[in-house]
Amino acid sequence: MHIMEGFLPVDHAIGWSLASAPFLAWGVHSVRRQLQAQPEQRMLLGVAAAFAFVLSALKLPSVTGSCSHPTGVGLGALLFGPLAMVPVGFVVLLFQALLLAHGGLTTLGANVFSMAIVGPFVAFGLFRLGRRFGLSLAVCVFAAACLGDLATYLTTAIQLAWAFPDPAGGFAASLLKFGGIFAITQIPLAISEGLLTVLVVNTLTRFNAQELQGLPLFAGNGGKA
Amino acid sequence: MLIEQAAYANRWRGVSPAAKAAFALAGLLAAFAAVSPGAALRLALCSAVLTCVGAGVPAGLYLRVAAPAVGFLGLSCVGLLVAVDPDSGWRWAPEAWPQVAALAGRSLAALAALLGLVLTTPLSDLIALLRRLRCPAVLLDLMVLCYRMLFVFSQAVHEVRTAQQARLGDATLRHSLRSLGQLTANLALQVWQRALALHLAALARNGDGSLRFLTPQFAHAGRDTALAVLAGGGLLVLARWAS
Repeated sequence: MHIMEGFLPVDHAIGWSLASAPFLAWGVHSVRRQLQAQPEQRMLLGVAAAFAFVLSALKLPSVTGSCSHPTGVGLGALLFGPLAMVPVGFVVLLFQALLLAHGGLTTLGANVFSMAIVGPFVAFGLFRLGRRFGLSLAVCVFAAACLGDLATYLTTAIQLAWAFPDPAGGFAASLLKFGGIFAITQIPLAISEGLLTVLVVNTLTRFNAQELQGLPLFAGNGGKA
Repeated sequence: MLIEQAAYANRWRGVSPAAKAAFALAGLLAAFAAVSPGAALRLALCSAVLTCVGAGVPAGLYLRVAAPAVGFLGLSCVGLLVAVDPDSGWRWAPEAWPQVAALAGRSLAALAALLGLVLTTPLSDLIALLRRLRCPAVLLDLMVLCYRMLFVFSQAVHEVRTAQQARLGDATLRHSLRSLGQLTANLALQVWQRALALHLAALARNGDGSLRFLTPQFAHAGRDTALAVLAGGGLLVLARWAS
């Protein structure tokens, strides 16, 4: 799902970096204000970034029999909020490029836009919407993680289709092509990640609900499912 | 992590990170400035040979690190050689070959430039370089903490996975998913526990602000940077050399 180093044309690489920059600045500003009020959050966000990095290295069994890694987009947004996920996601994606050669420096802006901005905001928005309509915690968590993942894949498909329009059918045909390729591999993975996130939240609420009060996940529900 | 192993054990370990970053930047610029796929491939080869022969990074390790990205590139190129025709459906598109060749050359050259940097420079040196470049303190703190804690979490993952596998935790798809869910939940909880322990440790040492560390000193930073700029200029000339 990461776009590799040098894959995007230079104007697209610069454009996606410019598109991500205001969100990153907003996220950094928000975290800075949060740290002034609660200095203990400094360690929390740093450790959360390490958690997200390690999470991305775990193997996720898929219903098609293949194997990939969880993105942690939905879980991160629910645990720490979408705005905090922008700088955290930026650091994780930078580390993936520098420590694993997964992604790249010239494509960092595009990857941040899909995985640290679109995915977390979609996941968090869907979760809040679902809770407002009175859906159960498990359904909301599944929808947030699964559709947050799919929103990330769709954004990546749009980025690639825009950069490489089809010789015959242009942008729309190219989006169909990249979307089709992603659909085969990523829809089963998104479902797997949705199920995994439900299992994680169930375990957390069962054994550690008291420690997790006040998180976006439990906001306004008193920690109850 | 293979990249970290190479970054701490290569001949360019003592070279200034600013010099290596300048050379990598020139490599990235050259990848985008290459006049032809052939020129881009020459750049990629040049960067790879410099990293393996110059810095002494083992060729086998280099190939193992590069293999996943190169595999992804190959699959993507096949995807780009397929066109969606409104009348006949899917078809091969040989007319896209020049674009695909240019893309493959550019990606390989850029990947080689990135690998030249990360396989010769530990992440702690790169974070120190970002501090000198006035990167926001919030991001630097996140990076420092993330870098230090990811090895702790990796060890925890390894131990939990070993325990789960010893109890047939991966026997079926359902067991696998449940084991992974429990592992992730356990790790998520450790985020709060470890963060609290770190915060208390920092408070006990009067640490209530940004995390500061001694930055490593490099004796020949000026000379290294001048050489890197010259070599980077050479890469740019190579990129524009058509024949």
